[in-house]
Amino acid sequence: MASAALPALAAPTMRRRAPLASFLAPVALLVLWQLLCLSGAFPPQVLVPPSEVARTLWQLAETGELQRHVGESMTRLALGFAIGALAGLAFGAAIALSRLAEVVFGPFFFAVWQVPVIAFVPMLVIFFGIDEQFKVAIVILAAFFPVALAAFDGIRGVPRAWFEVARVYRTRLPDLIWRILVPATLPAVVTGLRVALTRAWVVLIAAELLAADSGIGQMMEMGRQMFRIDVVLAGVVVSGVIGFLLDRGAKAIERRASRWRAA
Amino acid sequence: MIHEVLARPAPAGAPAASGALAIRDLHKSFTIGGAPRTVLEGINLDIRPGEFVSIVGASGCGKSTLLRLIVGLDDDYRGEIRLDGERVSTTSLDRGIVFQDHRLFPWMTLEQNIELALLNTDVPKARRAQIVAEHIALVNLTGFEKAYPHQLSGGMAQRAAIARALVTEPKLLLLDEPLGALDALTRVRVQNELQRIWMTQRSTMLMVTHDVEEALYLGDRVVVMAPDPGRIRRIVEVDLPHPRDRAAPLLHRLKDEILAELTAAPSAPSNLVHLPGREVR
Repeated sequence: MASAALPALAAPTMRRRAPLASFLAPVALLVLWQLLCLSGAFPPQVLVPPSEVARTLWQLAETGELQRHVGESMTRLALGFAIGALAGLAFGAAIALSRLAEVVFGPFFFAVWQVPVIAFVPMLVIFFGIDEQFKVAIVILAAFFPVALAAFDGIRGVPRAWFEVARVYRTRLPDLIWRILVPATLPAVVTGLRVALTRAWVVLIAAELLAADSGIGQMMEMGRQMFRIDVVLAGVVVSGVIGFLLDRGAKAIERRASRWRAA
Repeated sequence: MIHEVLARPAPAGAPAASGALAIRDLHKSFTIGGAPRTVLEGINLDIRPGEFVSIVGASGCGKSTLLRLIVGLDDDYRGEIRLDGERVSTTSLDRGIVFQDHRLFPWMTLEQNIELALLNTDVPKARRAQIVAEHIALVNLTGFEKAYPHQLSGGMAQRAAIARALVTEPKLLLLDEPLGALDALTRVRVQNELQRIWMTQRSTMLMVTHDVEEALYLGDRVVVMAPDPGRIRRIVEVDLPHPRDRAAPLLHRLKDEILAELTAAPSAPSNLVHLPGREVR
């Protein structure tokens, strides 16, 4: 996090040292965890040593079970995120560009936005059961709000001065949209997409924990029910790594999208 | 000989045949907090083709509003604004403007920013790059075509904005305190550039500034405005050929005159009356 906050200040030497340094904390944690298990302070069923978790992960991967769960979760994420983000973009743009749409939908939107997405789970389960639609629906919801808000803020944030420039040069509407409006709002929208993606992932795992028949979350829930803490922890590691990679990937795209902002 | 002359498009060096601005009985008012407020009253001004006219005045005398009306960003006015006889009602590529902030788009290179002005023209695509390059050269920015605005200094960005405004070859160029945000040294340099550009282009230019010296150095005439409501107090002829010498005694005499006029406004005594009251609080 800290290294991402000051890319401009980071000297080349710091950059080279950074990957090593960032492995320090996780490795220390692993060592501490392993030592704690070896000390025998906790029964091995409760606190499984990291070596055991690694072995379980390997077994899960060998049988293909892990890949199946990850694949299921990722498919839901991709589908739900695509629908939610597109709907969010359209909705955010609509309430930003149309006074009427803002008056009609704005207050409701900003009120619902305050509700934690997880709070919709009971309702969604009643509507959709615990099948595929439910998980996709919750991802759609989780992605929709951040993207809609980012699109709204992004478009509203376009300075009036830039529209005046377009008027002075009599820029045609397609050019105004593609050359001015889209690039001007892109950084805000991409940030919204990144936030939405990581939120959607977290919400999906939570939803799978609560009600599902497959997916990373369900794998963890099954592990808990069968007292396989090693499987639960394997799920924690996998969902954490995937979440981290999603965020990193999105950040890289975000940086590219707002390159020109670097002042 | 004749072919050469005929082959050339619009002669850039010769005085432009068009670009005459006529303003008649111009009134403009805004509604502020439900009450109408007159910002411009009874403005009458004629600008000859190819002339450089400066407008100076205290802040709040409506000089920027006047430019917005002339460029067509605001069409809610009474009276007449005509360019070559045609009434101004909206923006047109015949009228260019340079704002105080350069207003270049940060995600476009210098080249792309200038080319944007040509998007809605009938200039063939093949010619555009050449015209853009010519105008970048005109403002002495050759070599910075691929630079983004944040990589340019304030003076360079403002010169780029001037190039963008000129690339459509407007009959009239409006300059709204274009050098107001620059430091003193850069400002002098860009003033010299502006004078050179005007002398090569010879399009009509109308510049608003709060710098009397700048107004006199560049302007064939200087319009002195008074505030509340904005009106023309006086028009000063600056009878000196271009390029000018900043040290010319005439410029200094006129500067003292105009400054005296601007500072000895009736607002000064009223200020003095109010001051003790403010101090008590």
